Amino acid sequence: MFVCEDKYDVVVIGGGHAGCEAALASAKLGAKTLLLTQSLDTVAQMSCNPSIGGIAKGQIVREIDALGGAMGRVTDHAALHYHMLNTGKGPAVHSPRVQCDKKVYQFTFKHFLELQPNLDIMQDEAVKISVSDNAVDGVLTLRNTFYHAKTVVLTTGTFLAGTIHIGTEMFRGGRYNDMPSDGLAKNLREDLKLNILRFKTGTPMRINARGLDYSKFRLQPSDNPLQPISHFTDAVQQSKRTFLSCYITRTTLETDKILRANFQRSAMYSGNIHGLGPRYCPSVEDKIKKFPDVTSHPLFLEPEGFHTEEYYIQGFSTSMPEDVQRALIKSVPGMEKASITRPGYAIEYDFSDPRDLFPSLESKRIPGLFMAGQINGTTGYEEAGGQGLMAGINAALKTQAKESFVLRRDEAYIGVLIDDLINKGVNEPYRMFTSRAEYRILLRNDNADLRLTPHAFRLGLLDEKYKAPFEKYQALCQRLIEHPAAQADENETELFPWTVQKARTHADIYHKYAGYYERNKKDAQRLAEMDSVKIPEGFDPSSVRGLLFESAQKLAEVKPQTLGQAGRIPGVTPADLQLLAVHIERFRRLKNAKAAH
Amino acid sequence: MQHTICALATGAGGAVALVRLSGPESCRILGELTHLSAQPEPRRQTLCTIYDGTEPLDKALVTYFKAPHSFTGEDVVEFALHASPYIKGRLLELLCAHGAVMAKRGEFSQRAFLNGKMDLVEAQGLCDLIASGNKASHKLAMDSLDGKLSARVSEIKKRLSELLAQIEVRLDDVDEEMTPLSDEFVRGEIEAVLSHIKALADTFSVGKYIKDGLKTAIVGAPNSGKSSLLNALVGFDRAIVSDQSGTTRDTVEETLEINGQKIILTDTAGIREHALDPAEKEGMRRSHRAMEAADLVLFVLDSSRPVTPEEKELWQDIRRQNKRTLIVWNKADLTAAAPDLEEAESYAAARVSCKTGEGLEALKQLITADVTEAQTADGLMISNLRHYEALLRAQTELESALIRLEAQAGGEIYAEHLRGALKYLQDLIGEVTPDDVLGIIFSKFCMGK
Repeated sequence: MFVCEDKYDVVVIGGGHAGCEAALASAKLGAKTLLLTQSLDTVAQMSCNPSIGGIAKGQIVREIDALGGAMGRVTDHAALHYHMLNTGKGPAVHSPRVQCDKKVYQFTFKHFLELQPNLDIMQDEAVKISVSDNAVDGVLTLRNTFYHAKTVVLTTGTFLAGTIHIGTEMFRGGRYNDMPSDGLAKNLREDLKLNILRFKTGTPMRINARGLDYSKFRLQPSDNPLQPISHFTDAVQQSKRTFLSCYITRTTLETDKILRANFQRSAMYSGNIHGLGPRYCPSVEDKIKKFPDVTSHPLFLEPEGFHTEEYYIQGFSTSMPEDVQRALIKSVPGMEKASITRPGYAIEYDFSDPRDLFPSLESKRIPGLFMAGQINGTTGYEEAGGQGLMAGINAALKTQAKESFVLRRDEAYIGVLIDDLINKGVNEPYRMFTSRAEYRILLRNDNADLRLTPHAFRLGLLDEKYKAPFEKYQALCQRLIEHPAAQADENETELFPWTVQKARTHADIYHKYAGYYERNKKDAQRLAEMDSVKIPEGFDPSSVRGLLFESAQKLAEVKPQTLGQAGRIPGVTPADLQLLAVHIERFRRLKNAKAAH
Repeated sequence: MQHTICALATGAGGAVALVRLSGPESCRILGELTHLSAQPEPRRQTLCTIYDGTEPLDKALVTYFKAPHSFTGEDVVEFALHASPYIKGRLLELLCAHGAVMAKRGEFSQRAFLNGKMDLVEAQGLCDLIASGNKASHKLAMDSLDGKLSARVSEIKKRLSELLAQIEVRLDDVDEEMTPLSDEFVRGEIEAVLSHIKALADTFSVGKYIKDGLKTAIVGAPNSGKSSLLNALVGFDRAIVSDQSGTTRDTVEETLEINGQKIILTDTAGIREHALDPAEKEGMRRSHRAMEAADLVLFVLDSSRPVTPEEKELWQDIRRQNKRTLIVWNKADLTAAAPDLEEAESYAAARVSCKTGEGLEALKQLITADVTEAQTADGLMISNLRHYEALLRAQTELESALIRLEAQAGGEIYAEHLRGALKYLQDLIGEVTPDDVLGIIFSKFCMGK
């Protein structure tokens, strides 16, 4: 065994969307960070769709970006098509989505990592997390190298004991063509005794565009004018670039017929898959089964890159055998002559019950172990990136003995995401929807910077050069909210990358929602007050006499850190909270009295 | 910011009821109810008129305790008022309408403890109190009217959740596959839910009678037989009955049960415009007040003699009150036909003889008739102010949603109000199921990626 002499503050296991953000954030906070990945050629790989953003997900990207994360900037760099979703509806539900050149995306991200001071990247597979004195102290790799680590961020994606299904064919894999992480999976289950469960997800086939009949598709051109997804991208410069179109077509009755005739051959229905899949984003065979009345489903053809003829077919996720997939393609108008380049498949993988996490994403079972992304039961690049960023920040803060950084539900979708995960747990892969946010009016894509950038400056996640323009922008927004008719120099350059136009838009939206802003803020303030009541060290909430039996059980399971968190655990009643409030105060006074003696 | 909470601080019975209000908005609410703009002087009892809109509700002794020098350590206002179930119930309703919420069990003490106003020993008692409430309220939904209320609210909630899911799924629909909801459909659904909630809330004045009693004022000219009627209904001599008119100087209150309903009968002094002595004048003032506070007015007339001008004037007065009113033709044993009274045909009437007991059963049926009518079709009614408050708030949210819909606001805006309404309904049945709407979305709609 080679024991690496470098002693790391943070070792990130996994170089996907969660791991990459975690590594960058941790290194930015000054923590000596190592990113371990099976393959440097697949860092930040877009394993499924070639797009970043989408409903509610777009808001998360904006939040990651406002907090200094890389996802937004890399996306703009790799962009091949912009589409602002939901523009027919109110600004609270406008969400950016950007199609990317997959290769440009992953190599750009890799370059970001390489340029980041304090960050080492190493191609090797983690097989064991070393724990001594009930805390993480290092990571052992497949090459038998040991890295000292004060904290570990675990971002394993679909690699833990991954199994791929195509029809009744089954083989091991963390992603098509990549080996699963079996050593680590065994370590987590058997040595660390994490509460491991299994989920399933899937991806559609890719096709070669040669032979497509575009006349049968509906064209979806890239937005013009476009809105970059990153706050720091120059919209004018970005607009000068070349973009590609997407296409829309639909499944037919023939598609329906093929699927019905082959249900029993789908991995989903063959009995081979035991993991739970998501109810939304179902495979196409699921759609037919669950919604028999819908005879036609939309399909979106999305380019995989600038320099390839491969298309991703959104809406055609399937685990049917290869011959059925070929027949399915031919049943769709415009795709009759297309050929499959990679078949769709379903994948099963291990994840860990997220109720075992603190709001900082640190494990309650193993101090120093942080988790982010699919290992917490989520799905989606954006959800992964958001958690990765938070786990990276908190792992670094822990090594610096600083208080953890937690976003509230009224501050960010990232806050909603993590709060939901740790309190409610998951029974299907969790993806974000705007319906999950009770403060939807506050959590918009247009104000992500105003909500979160101050945190980024405070923590040191953003370049200081943005500070002065941002503060100017904040002041301008405030001025325009108070005096909508106020004059402002439209060509102000000191605001860059912010603009007067953006401030005006913000003020307009604020006025549109004015009453709801106040209403949400008031609610949120009550929530914040409840969250400010910390459950003290040594106080066991579940031991409080008079709690309902079920509540005591839930409290023992989740171990909330604040009174507010206790209140968000499903089943805990208002009276339970009253009791907790009184007992916490009682505990505090008794402790003070003891200290006084 | 903490909610401002209110509750009745005294138990049933007694002449004076104490209602307590605590929290940051206490002063504002007090100002709005008393129409006084000046901040009250702390720790000083002041006689104030409490207004129900523009009408006075009661004169109450009001004491303001400024934070932190109060029981809870917050701004507190105490109202000492007449212990009529109507007055105290209405005051609590008004407080809630002005932004307060009904206190949970032990919540005043809880705040006192958290603000350092109570020691550890006292806190133990407080914990016991809350714990007992926890068990009780947990069972409430099941126990209250055999769980019918809970079932009904669940039904309403379900319909609202379905509507909200329809709206939410369109907000989250990436593929824009779903046909938009028509405004007429959304309006129709909101109105349907609203009408169910209203029907339930409207039973509250009735439900309240079950708990607090139906306040019934017996009014009439001197010597028309009001006290005799009271005694006949109660079944023993309670009021002083004499032939000398104006014997009942004070109001006489009696609680009895008729057809399973709790009735509080108030015999008022005979109302006569030109009272002879000061005591009688005072009695008549009280009579007017009793009538104002009543849920039901029994207008007693002597059918053996013509209606006097004074009685006609009194009749106008009663009708102006706009209360549920029954005309009681007394002394039916002495005559066959009732004298003429203006618009009498629009009112339910009974012919009784207190002496023989004739017609008393029919009158009892009439007294309780409306109580039965005001129930919803399945006999459900609201008798708890907390439930009523939750329904009213849900109702307000739905009305706001309708206004927003009318103003062509987006789905994300009226969804805010529907979410609000749903939250109140959930509070009402003590149910915590945050993922209801998402559950419906996932099970009913085909969501894209």
